[in-house]
Amino acid sequence: MKKLSVFYISLSILIIACMFVIAPSSFAAKALKIGIVDCYSGPPAAYTNDVRDAFKLEAEKINAAGGILGRKIEVLTRDSKFKVDLGLSAAKELIYRENVDIMMGTINSALALAISDLCKKEKVPFFVTFAKSAKITGAKGHRYVFSITENTALVGKAAAAGLAKKPYQKYWIAGDDYEYGHAVADGVWNNLKKMKPDVELLGQSWWKVGEPDFTPYITAILSAKPDAVIVATGGRDCVPFLKAAKATGFNERVPFFMHTATELGTLKPLGLNAPENVIGTSNYFYYYPETSANKSFVKNFETAFNRKPAVGAVYGKLAAEFIFGAYKKAGKVDTEKFIDNVQGMWVNSPLGQVTMRAYDHQAMLPMFMGVTKKVAGYDFLIATDIVTIPGKDVMPSIAEIKKARKK
Amino acid sequence: MFKALFSKKTTIVGIILLAALLLLPQFLPRFYIYLFAMIFAICLLATSLNMVLGFGGMYQFHHAVFYGFGAYAFALFVTKSGLPLWMGYVIAPFCAALLGLVLGLITVRLTQLYFGMLQISLGSLVWAITYRWYSFTGGDDGIHGIPIPDLIGSSTGAYYFNLIVTAACLLLMYMIVNSPFGRTFQGIRDNPERCEAVGVNVQRQKLVGLVIAAFFAGVAGTLFVTVEGSVFPDLMFWTLSLEILIMCLLGGWFIFMGPALGAIIIITLRTFVGIYTEYWTLILGIVLMLLIFFLPEGVLGLFLKKIVPAEKKEG
Amino acid sequence: MEFAANITLFALLQQVLVGLSRTTILFIVASGLSLVLGVLRIPNIAHGSLYMIGAFLTYTIATLFGQSALGFWLALIVAPLCVAVISFLVERGLFCHLYEREHMMLLLFTFAFSLVFGDMVKLIWGSDYRSLTAPLFLQGSFSISGFPFPRYNLFLLIVGPLVAAGLWFLTNKTKIGKIARAAAVDREMVGAIGINVSWVFAAVFVIGCYLAGLGGALVAPTQNITQGMDHAIIIEAFLIVIIGGLGNIWGALLGALIFGLTDSIGILLLPQFAIVFPYMAVVTVLLFRPKGLLKSVW
Repeated sequence: MKKLSVFYISLSILIIACMFVIAPSSFAAKALKIGIVDCYSGPPAAYTNDVRDAFKLEAEKINAAGGILGRKIEVLTRDSKFKVDLGLSAAKELIYRENVDIMMGTINSALALAISDLCKKEKVPFFVTFAKSAKITGAKGHRYVFSITENTALVGKAAAAGLAKKPYQKYWIAGDDYEYGHAVADGVWNNLKKMKPDVELLGQSWWKVGEPDFTPYITAILSAKPDAVIVATGGRDCVPFLKAAKATGFNERVPFFMHTATELGTLKPLGLNAPENVIGTSNYFYYYPETSANKSFVKNFETAFNRKPAVGAVYGKLAAEFIFGAYKKAGKVDTEKFIDNVQGMWVNSPLGQVTMRAYDHQAMLPMFMGVTKKVAGYDFLIATDIVTIPGKDVMPSIAEIKKARKK
Repeated sequence: MFKALFSKKTTIVGIILLAALLLLPQFLPRFYIYLFAMIFAICLLATSLNMVLGFGGMYQFHHAVFYGFGAYAFALFVTKSGLPLWMGYVIAPFCAALLGLVLGLITVRLTQLYFGMLQISLGSLVWAITYRWYSFTGGDDGIHGIPIPDLIGSSTGAYYFNLIVTAACLLLMYMIVNSPFGRTFQGIRDNPERCEAVGVNVQRQKLVGLVIAAFFAGVAGTLFVTVEGSVFPDLMFWTLSLEILIMCLLGGWFIFMGPALGAIIIITLRTFVGIYTEYWTLILGIVLMLLIFFLPEGVLGLFLKKIVPAEKKEG
Repeated sequence: MEFAANITLFALLQQVLVGLSRTTILFIVASGLSLVLGVLRIPNIAHGSLYMIGAFLTYTIATLFGQSALGFWLALIVAPLCVAVISFLVERGLFCHLYEREHMMLLLFTFAFSLVFGDMVKLIWGSDYRSLTAPLFLQGSFSISGFPFPRYNLFLLIVGPLVAAGLWFLTNKTKIGKIARAAAVDREMVGAIGINVSWVFAAVFVIGCYLAGLGGALVAPTQNITQGMDHAIIIEAFLIVIIGGLGNIWGALLGALIFGLTDSIGILLLPQFAIVFPYMAVVTVLLFRPKGLLKSVW
């Protein structure tokens, strides 16, 4: 019985093999293809959808006006489902089969690093959106990777700058027990210690990613009586933690800082039940600053998608500005010329002027620090007392990058 | 010895198939070469699971941990020790086998669901250690850019390398399954009490089977690294174990090449359906349900049922 | 860890209480799984998906009524019932034809279902975060000696034993419960004495799935309601069922207790190992009691 099975296996394999060759790659051979690999399933999708939508909006605008350099823009997206092996496979499919000119993505840092490495080998420019590992443009940076999102190093500096001005002395650090959580906490703490040497760390609490109940941790932190807490949660746990903070009254007993606590993506789901007085850093608010650039961006996005843009939309817009702007400047679809033009380039955006630093290919994004508050006219909390920290003040120094890359 | 294993027909078909696969890269676009190389590795992985699942009747619920462990062992070996690459290919599977031994010693005294669940728990401990030990394993960031020389690391190179290694390992496993050990093993699956009564040390046999399966899973892990150049904790997560299990069940778990077919079907489906829609898991689920309803013994089981009567006629 | 210095009796007590409220959810979900596994011998991987559907339905129903108290209570009743109805349709339409199949095939089938359900939830509800707030009088927390104890956790502490009592009554005192227990042990015998085993199975399956939906409904105000909820809960539920004893409701309770308590106390003592507590618990139990803590049905 077993012997004949080999015959039929081979038959089926050959049939399936034929299937492969038949599956067509996308048409429009003369298109400028942009491939986006990201997680469009589960919690991260709330963030990543914005990136894709804003980017596509820009691409459609250009296509309507006749395309770019005589070509139509084609945006191809693939869902990684937050799995690195799926995402990497999808990236290879986009590069090998669809022959994309540019790659974009992803919210998962491990996947971003893997794709970055792939793009280095294949010499395809890769624009990182959302993944916040500092390694992307730091230790593992290279010519073909660009980041248009803040990373843990930038957050660390910005948060420390804000916290150093406050009177808090005794700190507690808590967060998601994975690479991102530790990196953010380290970034904030190391910079804070440099700016304000007399701060004291009382202790740390780390919970697993996706922790269902924060109450035990909150209790433990409260019993240590710190002046303030640095909460390093990743995208998935921000909302649940804020919920738990409100339920236990944590925010009323001790001030705490959380990156993205003031962001729309975090506060909107909680409506009017979010905790107040939470200190947060963020890259973007649709309601601040009320510049004409921001206002028109919000209006266009809202008209197209029936929702207010969150920070992901700005990443998408920045990507579009840099990518299409650089191609225009280069005058032709040539990768090396493209890269030469992106380096050091600045673009107009809802955040004002943003420059892509030439040395490490990191966009110099401004950070906003604010405090959550209930304000009339909004059915969710917004950030108040907003302090803007300019991009150049939060970037790691070029010396630091050099040192990281040497290792 | 080969004469005893394969009929003449099968040997010829096998050779033709192998020849076809060897020539394929000349005609295939690059992506498909990469995909095939990946498929070879996963076929090996699925077949290694079936060593204990289908032939041993063991509820191996966390096979991926051996795969991931082998991949990590290889990755760490290549990036951290200064030793030659080929040694990594030899050492990593033995590391996986060692893990199989350790886990096996703890788990083989249990049976069925309990065995599977304990394995999941122990395997998850290994996963958790890998996930958290950032300084050594790269934590949840993983290790990327693992330097594999172009000879075997390039798309075509990986294709041939994986093909040869997979074919060799499949042959080895086939020989093991058809050896006296393999037959005893299947006997344990069918009737453990009787085997015990006849003097077979059931637990020891199971342990040996597990170690062998873990060894080949480790080889599959090294093949994965050869193709992708990266490792990450996902490779050891229980959801991957479930996927491999599904591949075995889908293709037919009491037939040697069944799991390989299951692997091919699932990977093909998810790659190509994924191009058209992000809801490919829905399609996969529906396809699976249809297959189960109409093909109770897996895809291959259907073919066999149709063939066996025909064979009897011929014979 | 600096933690250890801060343990007072009250802190410990509070942690225990929180652990117990987590136990409620785990118990409800695991008991449903245990029932189905014990009586029908189906390892229902889609159990987690039903839990997730319960949570999403609760969100939708409660939001329809403006997330008011009425909305919440209504959702709590209706959502699990909807899940029960869905499971009934699935069972009668598909599962009942497959009972004669191999164990593994049933596992595969339920896995396929979990894939389908997962994507259907995404199709219907989209991928956004959903957040549900409990009705006003269940919001906020009590202060026990300076430690916050959320009111909702207390609510769960009350619901848990109620459900347990209800299940005990159902399985021990009602006819259907007794038949189900008999069918778990020897389905042929039950069929031989003239009882329609098929309908018994359907009833048990529906009850088990109702429990999954109920667990999802109860957990909705405390967590993010998102895709991925199914994966997180299913592995815990299976582990609990295994250590408790297959098909044994009290085993599920015991298992859930062990999980909930080791988690919350362990967090206090060794927080950096929180990620491995459930697995350590399982390993420990299975090493000493390989067939689970309490008697399993098969």
